[in-house]
Amino acid sequence: MPGIIGIYPFGLNRENWRISRFVYYGLLALQHRGQEISSIATFGGEFKEITQKGLVDEVFNEDRLKQLDGFIGLGYVSPLENSKPIKVSSPVELILVGDGIPLLGESRDKAWKAFAELLSDEISRVKNALKAGVNVIEQVDGGYSFIALTENQEMIAGRDKHGVKPLEVGSLGFDLGAIASETSALDVLGMEHASYIKPGEVVKFDPYSIERARAKSAAQSSYCSFEYVYLARPDSIINGIPVYAVRERIGEALARKFPVEADTVIGVPETAIPFAIGYSRAAGMKLDLGFITTGRKIRTAIKPSVFERIVGVQLKLNPIKSVIDGKDIVLIDDSVVRGTTLRNTVWNLKRRGARRIHVRIGSPPLKSPCPFGVEIPPPDELIGRALSEAEIAEIVGADTFHFLPLKDLISSIRLPRNSLCLRCWGETRD
Amino acid sequence: MKLVIKVMGVGGGARENALAEAISRSNREVKIYWVSELRNPGIYRLVKSTGGEYALAKTTNARKVAEIAAKWNVDLVVIGPEEPNFHGVPDEVENKGIPCIGAKKSVSILEMSKAEMRRIQWKFNIPGKLLFKTYKSYLDAIEDLKRFSDTLTWLQNVALKPARQAGGKGVKVVEDVQAYLHREKSEFKERHIKWLEEYMGKYSDVEEKILVEEKVWGPEYTLQCFVDGRTVIGMPLVQDNKHAYEFDIGPETGGMGSYTGRGMLLPFITMEEYERSLEIVKSMVYAVQKVTGEKYKGFIAGQMMLTEIEGPTLIEMYSRLGDPEAVNVLALLETDIIDIFEAIIDERLSKIKIKFSDKATVVKALAPKGYPDFKSIAKGHEVYVDEKLIGKFGCKLYWGSIHLQDDGKMITGGSRMLEILAVDDDPAKASERIDECLKHNPVKFLDGWSYFYRSDIGSAEMIKRRTAIAERVRRLYKYREERGILGKRIDWLPKIGKIDPVSLLLKELGGE
Repeated sequence: MPGIIGIYPFGLNRENWRISRFVYYGLLALQHRGQEISSIATFGGEFKEITQKGLVDEVFNEDRLKQLDGFIGLGYVSPLENSKPIKVSSPVELILVGDGIPLLGESRDKAWKAFAELLSDEISRVKNALKAGVNVIEQVDGGYSFIALTENQEMIAGRDKHGVKPLEVGSLGFDLGAIASETSALDVLGMEHASYIKPGEVVKFDPYSIERARAKSAAQSSYCSFEYVYLARPDSIINGIPVYAVRERIGEALARKFPVEADTVIGVPETAIPFAIGYSRAAGMKLDLGFITTGRKIRTAIKPSVFERIVGVQLKLNPIKSVIDGKDIVLIDDSVVRGTTLRNTVWNLKRRGARRIHVRIGSPPLKSPCPFGVEIPPPDELIGRALSEAEIAEIVGADTFHFLPLKDLISSIRLPRNSLCLRCWGETRD
Repeated sequence: MKLVIKVMGVGGGARENALAEAISRSNREVKIYWVSELRNPGIYRLVKSTGGEYALAKTTNARKVAEIAAKWNVDLVVIGPEEPNFHGVPDEVENKGIPCIGAKKSVSILEMSKAEMRRIQWKFNIPGKLLFKTYKSYLDAIEDLKRFSDTLTWLQNVALKPARQAGGKGVKVVEDVQAYLHREKSEFKERHIKWLEEYMGKYSDVEEKILVEEKVWGPEYTLQCFVDGRTVIGMPLVQDNKHAYEFDIGPETGGMGSYTGRGMLLPFITMEEYERSLEIVKSMVYAVQKVTGEKYKGFIAGQMMLTEIEGPTLIEMYSRLGDPEAVNVLALLETDIIDIFEAIIDERLSKIKIKFSDKATVVKALAPKGYPDFKSIAKGHEVYVDEKLIGKFGCKLYWGSIHLQDDGKMITGGSRMLEILAVDDDPAKASERIDECLKHNPVKFLDGWSYFYRSDIGSAEMIKRRTAIAERVRRLYKYREERGILGKRIDWLPKIGKIDPVSLLLKELGGE
């Protein structure tokens, strides 16, 4: 689930823009999508690229932004160590950033490499970058979004036929156009959000036009439902649906479905806080801030190793004693993968004086890995697949434990069931 | 009443093609004559079919145009674009004793000088104003805009414009809100101001070169009117779309397409807002007549925006019909345009009934790649147009910046080359029809060059987005209205204190 962004200047004197700082701030607003690798590439006659392990503001400083002196820019943040933008040098030189997985090879890296090469070949063959993009999408199944920048100053962005991975479009004044994984990046840049790229659609920016076309086989959308639960920032709007509103509704649904007597409701920071707000409102129960975070915002669920995840949780979740001491608590989290971090959290709350703990999860049990690159462990590591709610309650040490039923997730998103990708919850498409 | 009426038009774009077509629809027997710089294939055909004549001439050469009108002995002249107005073509034509539908030089100041327009508006205290400043040199402008934190709030978010109407070119809106992007944006602003100064150097008819206006946001719309010196009659509202490309991205153009709703309104503008806008345009006409002592006869348009500060707000004025907005309204016009022209001449617009049909329209402009900022690469390409195919989709074609050569070849002039119109029950349907038509490639370049247009104009998604913005703005200005603070601005500067930028501006204007 990397975050990708492309920024493109138009009009007279377009070469005057120094775009790297725009890409930098855009990436900061996509950092939640990947915290291992940060990368910026610009084009200003030639490609320049800096990719390194680390957070965006660790990797880039004033000097490095200055080195990236082009006027067209691409940015990439990734949760995968060793991943990077794909470069192809011939027949058409291009650099490509992608989110998700095109079904083209046995590994993600190979698939993206093959995808970028296919695009380059196709552009050289049909001599039309828009058509080439459409042809590639026609040929390649999977769940992916991409933005590519060619030596001919063409920026091509597209989504697979089902539009699994998000891609949003915005503009700044009469000058800049941008494409990004989420609208949070457009907002931070002071841009107007125009629309989202449709499933199977390709948009091409060149110095003299913007063109769009859709693959003939573009199908019923299959938008990733996990974006709404966890991946996207709550201030983003994805496929026309505001993420925060979905999360609030999820909290409300939890309150209605599984009512329980308690003193206060607490959300696990940061993702579950909007769920807790919705729950509190619907249940008429007091909402409290339960935890304070130490250090940077870290997205624990996407850290590569178990050890890092536990460290992350411990740093992230220092309980506020006065809030929990002697209280019955509804604890809300966004999702449960292995149950390790939740167990840690419940234990921690009890040790600090909580009496009863009722755990509510803002998503259904995770049942299968994501074929399109969301980091979900193999099926035999998923607690929600292996155990019942009662068993999980026992293991994590909660008094009661409930997942959000799938149908409530769907009604909270407010898109028809058949327009969502629900594979990770064990629902397959026919 | 004369049996045959000879009408001469001036100007060679799609707007003029639409005017010529409206004239040809008249129930009266008309002969159409035309003068323009390129030979517009659509107008040329109408001229020929009515037995008129077509001349190529510089349309800003007032004496020349008037001589041609006299030579052809026409009964009336109608002016399409703004530059002939600025150069006094209507004045010269009337000097020859020929009535002219077109704003005279003095009153066309409303369009020619954006600064003068704004001064008149403030002087007569006409609603829908914006704060502004003018500069004679870029150095002064830069000095003012450089100060980020210690300057008036409105000067931090500005639209930079050439002070004189310059073909819709050169406008930059740079919203400098994000402090972390301040350096990049202010560097760009500086570079742009320098460029504007050079660009404006070619116009010697105004002293002020650069206009800085407070940046406002909200949905834009055009209110076009007929004027006879006494009465101002409003036409259906149109929304033009200035960004060159899809998604409202890219440089400012003369307009890449426009649409109307039904019942005189756009789907996101209320009747009350329409009436307030019309009141503003009327007041501006009366004000400029007072200032100049000249009657305003012809067309006028207010380019309006619904803003949080005051609701309907005047952004700019046209001393003519908009292009492409003219195509929308003239397609809906049911009244005989010759009757309207005669009423304008005789100052009896208030006596006639002007009817528009209750339909939605969408116009999309096709421009050769390179337009608007790189016209040299956009011109000189040979075009082929399959008009029958366009007709098959129920669309109508208007010719723009294309020159019909003597050898019959049609060559692009570098600006918007064609406009395609569809009329339907709602804009989305009309928009889709044009897209469907264009997918069948009715327009081709014979040298392999390509054109672009915006598929999103008039689409349901666009209207939904505009409506959402309009609702946001309406809440804000209605709140101000309830509290009696429409148009009020107030600022506070550390160490200086409370400042009312409006009274500052009025003081400056009064002191001149």
